[in-house]
Amino acid sequence: MIRAKRPALAVSLLALAALAGPAMAETTVDFTVAEYSSKTGPFFEEVAAAFEAENPDIKINIEVVPWDTLLQRLTTDIAGGTAPDISIIGTRWLLDFAEQGIAEPVDDYLTPEFKDTFIDTFMAPSVIDGKIMGLPVAASARAMIVNQDLFEKAGATPPENWDQLYEAAQKISALPDTYAFGLQGKEIETDAYFYYALWTFGGDILTADGMSGLDSPEAIEAATFYKKMLDEGLTQPSPTNYSREDVFNLFKQGTLGMIFTFPMLIPQLQAEAPDMNYKVLPFPEKAAKATYGVTDTLMLFADSDVKDEAWKFIEFAYGDEWRSKFDHGEGFLPVTKNVAAEEYYTTDKDIAGFAAGLPYAKFAPTIANWEEIADTTVRALQQIYLGQATPEAALTEAAGTINQIRGK
Amino acid sequence: MTSFSGLRPLAMILPGLFLAMFIIGYPVVDLAYTSLQEVSRFGKLQGYAGFANFAEVFADPLFWSSLTRTAIWTVCVVGGTMLISLPIAIILNDDFYGRGLARVIIMLPWAISLTMTAVVWRWTLNGRSGLLNATLMDIGVLAEPIEWLAEAQLAFTVEILVGILVSIPFTTTIFLGGLSSLPQESYEASMVDGATRWDQFVHITLPLMKPFINIAIVLNVIYVFNSLPIIWVMTEGGPANGTDILVTYLYKLAFRFGQLGKAAAISLIMFGVLLVFTILYVTLVTRGDRQPQEVADE
Repeated sequence: MIRAKRPALAVSLLALAALAGPAMAETTVDFTVAEYSSKTGPFFEEVAAAFEAENPDIKINIEVVPWDTLLQRLTTDIAGGTAPDISIIGTRWLLDFAEQGIAEPVDDYLTPEFKDTFIDTFMAPSVIDGKIMGLPVAASARAMIVNQDLFEKAGATPPENWDQLYEAAQKISALPDTYAFGLQGKEIETDAYFYYALWTFGGDILTADGMSGLDSPEAIEAATFYKKMLDEGLTQPSPTNYSREDVFNLFKQGTLGMIFTFPMLIPQLQAEAPDMNYKVLPFPEKAAKATYGVTDTLMLFADSDVKDEAWKFIEFAYGDEWRSKFDHGEGFLPVTKNVAAEEYYTTDKDIAGFAAGLPYAKFAPTIANWEEIADTTVRALQQIYLGQATPEAALTEAAGTINQIRGK
Repeated sequence: MTSFSGLRPLAMILPGLFLAMFIIGYPVVDLAYTSLQEVSRFGKLQGYAGFANFAEVFADPLFWSSLTRTAIWTVCVVGGTMLISLPIAIILNDDFYGRGLARVIIMLPWAISLTMTAVVWRWTLNGRSGLLNATLMDIGVLAEPIEWLAEAQLAFTVEILVGILVSIPFTTTIFLGGLSSLPQESYEASMVDGATRWDQFVHITLPLMKPFINIAIVLNVIYVFNSLPIIWVMTEGGPANGTDILVTYLYKLAFRFGQLGKAAAISLIMFGVLLVFTILYVTLVTRGDRQPQEVADE
């Protein structure tokens, strides 16, 4: 049934090509772009226009899709036989794409010189079974941002470890209409907000033997700590009503002392809360130093008929000037060595604050069914925040479910 | 009239029937086929799986809790809509100054997409910066802001209320159409006999409106049972799956977790539930309608 659509598609494409007449020699590369911000679409259109000017026989067809619907869109496109030739995806999905034979290994296309332009740390998550399944396209690390005005008013000092954070939180929450710590409790990355604590408490998402680490003593301790902060009024009330953006908004309004966030918040803060005196700091420590490194991958589809042309475009788009423009515009950390060498990444204190965590950054494990595992984790956290289950009970159950999903 | 006997009428509806069967039937057959297959993460069929997808669905506690919640959601939204829409329609059917404007106001929510309405409500209900809390605190009803969407029970109640609100325009329209077709003579005759407005409502309006009420119930049940945007936008079925109905759970399974086989099975079950409901309801209604007639004939 699905196959039947391909000849039909081919026929209609032929018909279109015939209509186009003189443009018949043109090859079209379909590129699905994930929308990071309102700048993403125009940026890639600009790259495509520059590329097309140099390569008149190749046309780049850019489709910008919001992150929320990206996976759904790719799923339906693949199932319907109309997948693009290249796409930006979350690296956490890459294993699913690779296992199903959707992603094309790029080892044969990648020249040693081109490969050498990438920072190894960011290349590593794209390597599956020894094959490079895609190229890192965007990277960010997470960090803590504190509102220094509130710290001064409360007479507290920005914390370096969790005990200090707790003490500072008590002082800040004594201020009127102020909450010390923003706790995210719903929707995308609610689990990540917990991993920050999990890692710094010394736990991990998966243990060394591949089982879920959610039922480890460190994980339970971390969740108990969050719950204690919530119960003592050190966080905003009812975190299950606060998505990532809702917590950010509270911070922008100046009602939160500390949040955990990504670099993309900085341009928003500068635009929406220009008077705020903020500072980027590493996550508080307990048993370990950690941050969450997140990468996105540029993937080539195995079913593509125009891989060579697509690759030509990829090489073009990774030119230094384009990468630099992209990373600056979106507020990402660089994935290529030449951009990383720019002065900007050491002198700009905000970006430097985020980049500082890279040496000890943890990445989401490349495992199958990641979204389902994340959702299980979120459900357990929400039960804890709502008081429907103790941290121990909720996390033990979640760990059991995750092990089951992983077939362990 | 004799020319309409035999096969001829059947032949005349055949093209339409064929088209309808193709448009409705093809997706259902495709869905049924998919639900019996093992389906990959990205929708490629991997071979016959028997009833494995269904077994997995029935063994899933989240499916059963979503099913219960779907029943509550459908009954409450449709019931509430009926109870509110009928009086509104009766009021709007009377001639009064500014009726045109009142009708427009009632119909307006219909002009806005369901998703947009849900987004607006999500903002309105925001605990710290939402308009509703701000208003209620300004007029002194609340001392502390309420987090409307933080807990499942309250969130689900609020979602049902929003569901009722967006279903009213459509239902009121059906009722208005029905009311304007009612024979005025019955009302005039009853007034001569000294009936009060309540008597008129119970003995004339309600019985005569029955076909319109029935169609409104059937259509609303179908829409509401399958309605994704309100719950999805406001809570995504959370917190802790506490507001998941079948269609939001299905969406998560299909497009987040990539379990398209299981999702196809649930989809088919939903189709079955609606089909059975519609057939049962229509049978009950038509049987109920026929009885007085038959009694009168005897």
